[in-house]
Amino acid sequence: MRKTDRYRYLVVLAGLVVLHFTVRGRLGGDRIAPDFLLLALLIYTIRAEPGRSAAVGFVIGLLRDALTPASFGAGALAHTLVGYLSSWAKAVFFAENVFVNGCLFFAGTWLRNLIVLLASGRISGAQLGWELLVWSPLQSLTTAAVGILVLGLFGRWVAVRKPER
Amino acid sequence: MPLGADRYASRAGTLLFLGCVGLSVAAMSLPDTWRDPIAQGLRQTVLAPFLALQQQTELLSAARAHYDAVVAQRDSAALAATFLPELRSENVRLRSLMGLGTRLGWGYVPAEVLHQPEPTNPLTFIVSAGRNRNVRPLSAVVSAEGLVGLVSTVDAQTSLVLTWAHPEFRASAIASDGSVSGIVAPHGAAGPGVWLLELQGVPYRQLVPEGTVILTSGLGGVFPRGIPIGTVVGLASEAKGWERTYLVRPAIHPSALSHVMILIAARGSGSDIRGTFQADAVRP
Repeated sequence: MRKTDRYRYLVVLAGLVVLHFTVRGRLGGDRIAPDFLLLALLIYTIRAEPGRSAAVGFVIGLLRDALTPASFGAGALAHTLVGYLSSWAKAVFFAENVFVNGCLFFAGTWLRNLIVLLASGRISGAQLGWELLVWSPLQSLTTAAVGILVLGLFGRWVAVRKPER
Repeated sequence: MPLGADRYASRAGTLLFLGCVGLSVAAMSLPDTWRDPIAQGLRQTVLAPFLALQQQTELLSAARAHYDAVVAQRDSAALAATFLPELRSENVRLRSLMGLGTRLGWGYVPAEVLHQPEPTNPLTFIVSAGRNRNVRPLSAVVSAEGLVGLVSTVDAQTSLVLTWAHPEFRASAIASDGSVSGIVAPHGAAGPGVWLLELQGVPYRQLVPEGTVILTSGLGGVFPRGIPIGTVVGLASEAKGWERTYLVRPAIHPSALSHVMILIAARGSGSDIRGTFQADAVRP
């Protein structure tokens, strides 16, 4: 890992954050457009330890909760769990493979939405079913597609493993 | 190659994770009086530059759309000028297409809706007008189609809007002919009535025909009289001999909005602004 890769990695994550607040609104419906902020978290978890991933997830979730107070706290919980589990999953189960990474992005997005919906308790019944079985999979799909694209373009910078201790 | 689990089993990491989960649960249990200032503080500090960025992008997008519209209008005007006898009727038609803002005349500010990807976004969303544009809590938020919700919290540059879909939303309502009054509330999340409203508290003896337009009544002082809320689509339930509840299809879904108008000035107690919206309702 070269020193410059570290900064490039941060630039990629910062770029995703900027994309979230700029181009996301023009990428289709609000419910299906890719979630760049969550994608940045999931990419961060590829090389971070679970504890740090959980902490970063908590911060991102709390900030997002400030933008949608209808589910205040639920986003923080969801992003904490997704960050922690994603980091563990990458470490224990998943190999370095584009398809596997895509599945991770898909599952992470869907799991985030599931936890937000259940923890907030604001949506239930048929509406919950629609969100979980229709809109969330679509958003997960677009997020995974963008994630694969990002890894394809910048994979060398973002998927670098920490050296063995 | 995957890393071993043993490398990740650090006690500090686990404690950090548990601490974050605990804080998240604590955040979920916070009462509104604590939660709102925290959320407001975050929006005004850490998130302020990002919201400003999103606002600028929305403005840019709107400016582009306006540019296309202006170019189209200019081309139309040039074309119409070649047919001078038709120019007057063309002007009349364009005037009839003028927006809600022109008909409202005064006491409003336009704002962009800053959508977020969470599934609960239709319940509350951020708009790009705050104290800097004289927005106050409990200001009515409308679109050209009708009622969207009300302002819940006001920040320096942005405001939080509680939409009609939020479980805590209530509005005093009347039928367009003034025959029936009641309270409009979200119908709930279960069954086929998802994303519908209900008109509660209608006396049992009063029947509301399907297709009746429901407007705000002006009672309570939050919403001016005459804002379209929706259209009655059927009977939801009835308490025998006591009252009926009707299903109402909302005038506009919050997800479909890109811009809204915030009514910032109190209108006279007798004023009725239904005419402002009727022109849009009949727009082809």
